[in-house]
Amino acid sequence: MAAESWLVWALIAGMALVAFFTRAVFILPGSHLRLPPTADRVLRYAPAAAIMAIIVPDLALAHGALSISIENPRLVGGLVAFALAAATRSILLTIAGGMLALTLVRYFAG
Amino acid sequence: MQREQILELREGALASLGLLVGIVPWGIVAGVAMVSAGLTEPQAVAMSVLVFAGTAQLAVLPLLIAKAPLWVMIATALVVNLRYVIYSGVLAPHFEHLPRRWRALLSYVTVDGVFALFAGRFRPDDGNPHKHWYFLGGSLVMWCAWQLSSGVGIFAGAMIPSEWSLEFASTLALIGVLIPLLFDRAVAWGALAAGGAALLAARLPLNLGLLAAIAVGVAVGLAVARLGPRNGEGRG
Repeated sequence: MAAESWLVWALIAGMALVAFFTRAVFILPGSHLRLPPTADRVLRYAPAAAIMAIIVPDLALAHGALSISIENPRLVGGLVAFALAAATRSILLTIAGGMLALTLVRYFAG
Repeated sequence: MQREQILELREGALASLGLLVGIVPWGIVAGVAMVSAGLTEPQAVAMSVLVFAGTAQLAVLPLLIAKAPLWVMIATALVVNLRYVIYSGVLAPHFEHLPRRWRALLSYVTVDGVFALFAGRFRPDDGNPHKHWYFLGGSLVMWCAWQLSSGVGIFAGAMIPSEWSLEFASTLALIGVLIPLLFDRAVAWGALAAGGAALLAARLPLNLGLLAAIAVGVAVGLAVARLGPRNGEGRG
């Protein structure tokens, strides 16, 4: 499972640049630029879209094929996590509940 | 340091103590998830220190496991970090009188919680010449808490057997991050559309599918904001 070492280091370097650049983009030049309202909206919609686009395939695909089934441990774990996150807003309960559901489904369906 | 600077530094540090209950578990989860995704301990420590952006770190891990191309992972980190561009625009007028080194330092340490505290306390025209010390005080507390809790997670994660599938924790943590964002109607519809598009595009190579899904999500979000009633707009 471990990715090649050079790839991970390149990823860390690239992410470090991206993380600094996004934070510094207006602060470092000391600029008075204001974002136009549409740009402001794109900047708010894109992160949630990206996070959902990462989560959904990770839950609903198994070995590249759609797997909508109560026997799919990641799907059940993810749905439990969604419910817990909405109800409690607690990251720890969300993760603990999701992992527990994943483990239970694996145990009983596997 | 002058007395006023120390007072602001301490004020910021004390205010951010309330954020610790959030960042400490978050750091531990990020640490465990990085190691579970296959990063070595030095790599995971380097990522915590150099990137210092928990959501971006957690977002790339499922992609790393799925063997997504490097540029897709970096593009994803960029998209997830776009909220910092908004923060940067809000903070810039507060810090524009400072030397470049200061502005670089304050950029690097910016995190959500301290940004919210700072923006709540100081209006853009606030003439307090020491307000950056408040920001620094809060940020230093968060930086230390993040590095320590990540370190705990990294070394705990290295001892947890891989059969526990703890790499799934990064996806679960992302669900926890996502939920509060969805209370804005346009954001929620955009995210749902992106999730659906990501499934439909799963047959495409991952590089195209994810980025196309983000584009669909943004387009749907903009359309909903334009068409629908204006609840949820105009905040933030």
